Amino acid sequence: MAGAKGTVFNIQRYSIDDGPGIRTTVFFKGCPLSCVWCSNPESQNLDPELMHRQSICKRCYRCVEACAEGAITVGPDGIEIDRDLCTMCGDCVEACPHDAMRITGKEMTVDEVFKVVERDVDFYRDSGGGVTLSGGEVLLQPEFALALLKRCKEAGFHTTLDTAGQGNTEGLKSLLPYVDLVYFDIKHIDPKIHRAQAGRTNEAILRNFKEVAASGVPFVVRVPVVPGFNDSSDAISDIADLVATTSPGATVHLLPYHRYGQQKYEMLGLDYEMPTADAPSQDFMKAACEIVKAKQLACKVTV
Amino acid sequence: MAPETSNITPVVQGKIDPRAAEEIRSVVVMTDRLKKLKKEWEDAAPQVYVDDTLLFTESWKETEQMPVDFRWAKAFQKRMENCPILIRDDEIIVGSSTKFIRGNNTLCAVKPREILAMCESGRFDRKLSDISSTVIDPEDLEKLKADAEYWVEHMNPVNYVNVALEEELGKEHFDLLFDHAMILEGRGVRENPDRGLFQGYGAMGGGVIMLTAEVLHKGFNYVIGLAKAEMDKMKAEGALEDRSSANALRKWYLLKSIVIMFEAVVAFAKRHADLAREMAAKTTDPVRKAELEKIADVCEHVPAEPPRDFWEAVQSVRFMHLAAWKESPERAEVGIGRIDQFWYPYYKADIESGRLTRRQAAELIGAMWLKIREVENLVTIKREHRAAPGSQLPNVTLCGRDKDGNDLTNELSWMILEVMVQVHLSEPAVYVRYHEDQDEAFLIHALERNRDFGGGNPAFLNDELGTRRYLDRGIPIEDACNWSASGCLGYHLECAEHMAGAFNLVQAKVMEVALHDGFDPRTGKQVGLHTGDPRDFKSIDELYEAFLKQEDYFVEKMRDHYFIWWTTEIANSPMSGLRAGMLFRDCIPAGLASREGGCRYPIGKMSWVGDKGICDCADYLAAVKYLVFDEKQVTMAQLLEAMDANWEGHEDIRQMCLKAPKYGNDDDYVDEWYVRASRDTQRILQSRPDPITGERPMLFKGAAAGHVTQGKAVGAMPNGRYAGTPIYDGGTSAMAGGDVNGPTALILSATKYPTPYECAGVAHNMKFSKAVLNSPEKLSKVASLIKTFMKREGWHIQFNIHSAEELMKARKEPAAHKDLLVRVGGYSAYFVDLPPELQDEIVERTMHEVG
Repeated sequence: MAGAKGTVFNIQRYSIDDGPGIRTTVFFKGCPLSCVWCSNPESQNLDPELMHRQSICKRCYRCVEACAEGAITVGPDGIEIDRDLCTMCGDCVEACPHDAMRITGKEMTVDEVFKVVERDVDFYRDSGGGVTLSGGEVLLQPEFALALLKRCKEAGFHTTLDTAGQGNTEGLKSLLPYVDLVYFDIKHIDPKIHRAQAGRTNEAILRNFKEVAASGVPFVVRVPVVPGFNDSSDAISDIADLVATTSPGATVHLLPYHRYGQQKYEMLGLDYEMPTADAPSQDFMKAACEIVKAKQLACKVTV
Repeated sequence: MAPETSNITPVVQGKIDPRAAEEIRSVVVMTDRLKKLKKEWEDAAPQVYVDDTLLFTESWKETEQMPVDFRWAKAFQKRMENCPILIRDDEIIVGSSTKFIRGNNTLCAVKPREILAMCESGRFDRKLSDISSTVIDPEDLEKLKADAEYWVEHMNPVNYVNVALEEELGKEHFDLLFDHAMILEGRGVRENPDRGLFQGYGAMGGGVIMLTAEVLHKGFNYVIGLAKAEMDKMKAEGALEDRSSANALRKWYLLKSIVIMFEAVVAFAKRHADLAREMAAKTTDPVRKAELEKIADVCEHVPAEPPRDFWEAVQSVRFMHLAAWKESPERAEVGIGRIDQFWYPYYKADIESGRLTRRQAAELIGAMWLKIREVENLVTIKREHRAAPGSQLPNVTLCGRDKDGNDLTNELSWMILEVMVQVHLSEPAVYVRYHEDQDEAFLIHALERNRDFGGGNPAFLNDELGTRRYLDRGIPIEDACNWSASGCLGYHLECAEHMAGAFNLVQAKVMEVALHDGFDPRTGKQVGLHTGDPRDFKSIDELYEAFLKQEDYFVEKMRDHYFIWWTTEIANSPMSGLRAGMLFRDCIPAGLASREGGCRYPIGKMSWVGDKGICDCADYLAAVKYLVFDEKQVTMAQLLEAMDANWEGHEDIRQMCLKAPKYGNDDDYVDEWYVRASRDTQRILQSRPDPITGERPMLFKGAAAGHVTQGKAVGAMPNGRYAGTPIYDGGTSAMAGGDVNGPTALILSATKYPTPYECAGVAHNMKFSKAVLNSPEKLSKVASLIKTFMKREGWHIQFNIHSAEELMKARKEPAAHKDLLVRVGGYSAYFVDLPPELQDEIVERTMHEVG
C-alpha cells in the first residue's frame, strides 16, 4: 500500500530543539536540495548508505573478508570503500566487531515508526511535547508523512513539521490539517544564489511558504545563517521583508552555521564542498536579529 | 558586614516572591571574607591531629570499671573541655573540627593496629596507595605512636565476632565475605578485600540524622532539664534502691551520660565565647572588635538556649553538627538534615524586621559550609575500597511537604542552592525533596544551579514515596513526613530512627557463582549450592532458577551473619558507646540508648539489606538468552570458556556479548529481566525478618562508589565485561556507553520496576552535556523529565554534566566512548568521530562552561 512505508535515517528521542516540550524527531531520508553547508549529509540521499567510522575502526579487516563484491579494500589509511560496487547487503556491518560500520537509512512502515514514537508518551504529556517530522525533506515522502501524522493525531500527540519547503504543494496541503506547528526554512530570496548553493531555485519554497502562512497553522521561519551565502544585512533583510509582508508579526529563528557535520562527509565517502568558514560572529547574529525585529517580527538566535 | 541590597518582604513559603528570588539569585555569597577563608582551606595540607585521641585515652584510663556509656560520655566531655579551640581571622561562624584547617581526627581506640602501622611506616596517606599527602608534626607522631601502642596492648586480640561466626557458620563462611573491613575493625589490617559475595557497612549508628528542629528551637538546656527531671523522678521513686533491677542502674547512668554530653557541648561553646571576648579586647580594628563581641554573645547563648536570631540559629546548628562529628570521628556519617526548615522561622523574622539582609544570611550559611568542609578523615583502607571515598556525608535536605501536604519550599531552599554553587565545595551534598506541587521556578533554579555546580548537586528525591514508606509502617504523618537524606544514599527520620548496619549482596557475583554451579573462580572454592552445570541448561529459565536458588542461599547466610555480628558486637565491643544517643531525646524517658531501641521507632534498628548489580544481571541474562538460546551464535560451553579466559583469545565472543541487547534502552527484551530479577530479589530479601526486631528489612541499593570495590571480585561476564572492572554505578544505571537511546529510554527502563516503597539508595544517574541545560526552555524540559520519573515512582534522580576531563579521556580511548553524543541543534554526532580540532573546540567550551 502506498504511503505505508518510508525511508527514515534516524528516530531521535529526547529531542529538545525541534518544537515545544520533549519530542521524538523522525528524520526522513532524502532531500531534493543539496546545500553545501548541510550538517546532516546522510539525510540527502533517499537510499540507505554505508557509513564507516574511522575513529573506532581497529583495522582488523574482517569487513574486507566479508565483502563478496570486493568493494572494500585495504588502503594506506585503513579501509577504502568502492561505493559503486557496494550493494548495501550489510555483510560488513555484521562482520565488524567494533561497530565501526553502519548503514544509515532504513525502510520502515508507519507501524514500526509509531511503535518507537509512542514509547515516550508519558514524557510528551508531562512536558507538553510530541512528535516532529524532520529530514531530509519530509515533503519528498508525502503519503508516508500523512499516514504517520494521522496516526500521531489519533494518539493525541502534538505534531511539528520541520521542512525546507521543497516539494509538491498539494502534498504539503494534505499534511497541514494534521500539523500543530510548522518549522519552515527560508534560506535566500534570490533564486540564482539559492540555486548555486542549495542545488535548486527557491520558487517552490516561496510558494509553499505562502501556503503555510495562509493555512492558519502556527509556524516559525528558520533561517540558517551561512557565511558567504546569506550572512549579509541585505540577505537577512530580504527574507524578513518577505515574511513580514506575507504574515505580519510572525516569528523568525536565526540559526548560525556550524561545521560539526564535516566528518560525516568523510564517513559517507563524500567531499565537503563548503569552503572553510567560521561560524558567523555573535555580533553579526545580534545585528541580524535586530534587522528582523525592525520589521515588526519576533526573532531569536537559536543553536 | 557591608551595607546591603534592599529587602523584599514579606517572606513566604511555597511560591516565593519573584523579586526575592531574583535578589537571592544575584546575591554575592563569596564576600572577600569568605574568599580569603576558602583560599586558606585550598592552600592547607591535610594534617594528622592527635589531641583528641590523647584526651580520649586519658579519660578512658580514669574511668576503668565504669559502665561503657558513662565512660564514653566522660571521654567526650574531656575532649570538649580540653581540646584546643581557635577563632580564625575574619571568621563569623566558629567551631573548628581540629586546630588545623584540614585536620585528620582519629581515635586510636578504634583502630590501633592500623594507626600503629601508619606511624611505623611514616605514611599517613589518605589513599594509602601513591604519594603521601598528609603531614604530621614529628612530636605528634611520637605521641600518636605511644597512644596506638597503648590501645594495641589493651584491646582484646580476640575478635568475638570472628570467633562466633566461625563457631556458628564454619570457617568457610569467611569465603563469602566481601571485605573484612567491618568485622576486623581494630584488630588487624584488612587483607584480600577483592573477593566475596556480600558486604556490610556501617556499625552502630552509621548514617543517621542527629540534628533536630526541637533541640535547636528549645536549646540544650531544655534537654538537660528533661534528663535531670527523669533522674529526680527515679530518685523520688526509689528506683536506685531496688537492687532487683539492673535496668534502673543502667538507665541512671545513661541519663547521667546524656547530661554530661549535652553540658560538654555547652561548655565547648562557652569556651568560644571566652576566646572571642579575649580577642575582642586585644584587637584594634573596630569592625572586627564588634564582630568578635557578637560571636561572644552568640556562643554564650547557643546551643544552650533557643536562638534569638538567624546568626544564632546557624551557629547552633554548627555546634550540634560538630559535636556529633567529634563524638565519633570514625563513624561520622552525620546528616545535617532539613536546615531550610530548621532556620526558616529565624530567617523570616530577621528579614521581615529588617535586622538581616539576604546577603548577610547567605554569607552566614556560606561561612558554615566552609567550616563543614574542614573535616578530614584518616582513612586506613585504600581509598578505592571505601564506599564513599573520603566523604563524611554531611547531607543537607531541602523542601518537601508538611503533614497537611503544604509545600515547604522557602527562600532558604533557594538560597542554600546559591550558597552551594558559589562556595563550590564537594560537600555537603544537597538533596531536594521533589513533589508535583513544587513551584516550577524553583525547579528551574535548582537545575540551573546543578549545571553551574558541575552536576550531581542537588539530587532529587521522591517526596511522596519517602513519606509513604513510613506511613505504611504505621508511623503517624507528623513524623512520617519528617525524613531527610542520610549516609550514603539512605534516608532517615529526624532523630527518631537508628540505623544498625547495612548489608549488600552483590548480585553480579551471585550470577557468576550460578554460572559455575556454585563455584567461585576467585577463591577456587565451592561457596554456593550445586545448582547444575549451565552447559546442560536447555533454556534461559534454568539459569535464572539457578541464580535465584543461589541468591536465596546467600541471603540466608547474610541474615545469620548479621544476627551474630549484632549480638556479639554489642555485648563485647568497647566501642559500642553512646554514639548517636546524645541528640535522641526519646532516649531519655525510655532510658535506653538509641542502639538499644531508645529512639522513637524501632524500625531503624533493623538492618538494611540490599542488592548491587541488578542491572548488570539483566544484561548477563539477556546476553545469554540472545547469544546461546535465541540466536544460537555461541554455545554455553564456548561462552564460559571465553569468560574464564577473561576473553583472552576470544575477542570475537566478547564483541558478540557487547553487541547483545543492553539495559537502559527501553528494550523489553532485556528490561524484562531487570523487572523479574528486581521483583524476585525483593521477595527473597524481605522473606527473612530481622532476627532482632522481627520487622521486615529495608531495601537498599548501596553506595555511591561501592561498584568499584565490588567489581573487583567479579569475573568476566556475559555483558562483555573484563574481570575486576567496576560493575554499573548507582542503583539503576546502565552499562557505561550501553544506553544509546537517550534519557527518556533510560528513565523508562529504570522505572519499569517502580521503586518499592521501602527502598533507598537507588540513585538514577543521568548524564548530560552542558548544551542540554543552557536555556530556561531546556531547563524546563529537564524539569519535566523529573516529573515523569517521579510519576513513574522513581526514587532518586541526579544529573551529571560531561566534564572536560571525560571528553579528553574519550579522545584518548575512542572505542570505550563511541556512544558519547554531542548535540548542537538539530545536529547530533558522536564526539569521537569529530576531527581533533573540533574536539578541541568542544572540550574548550566545556571547560569554560564548567569553570
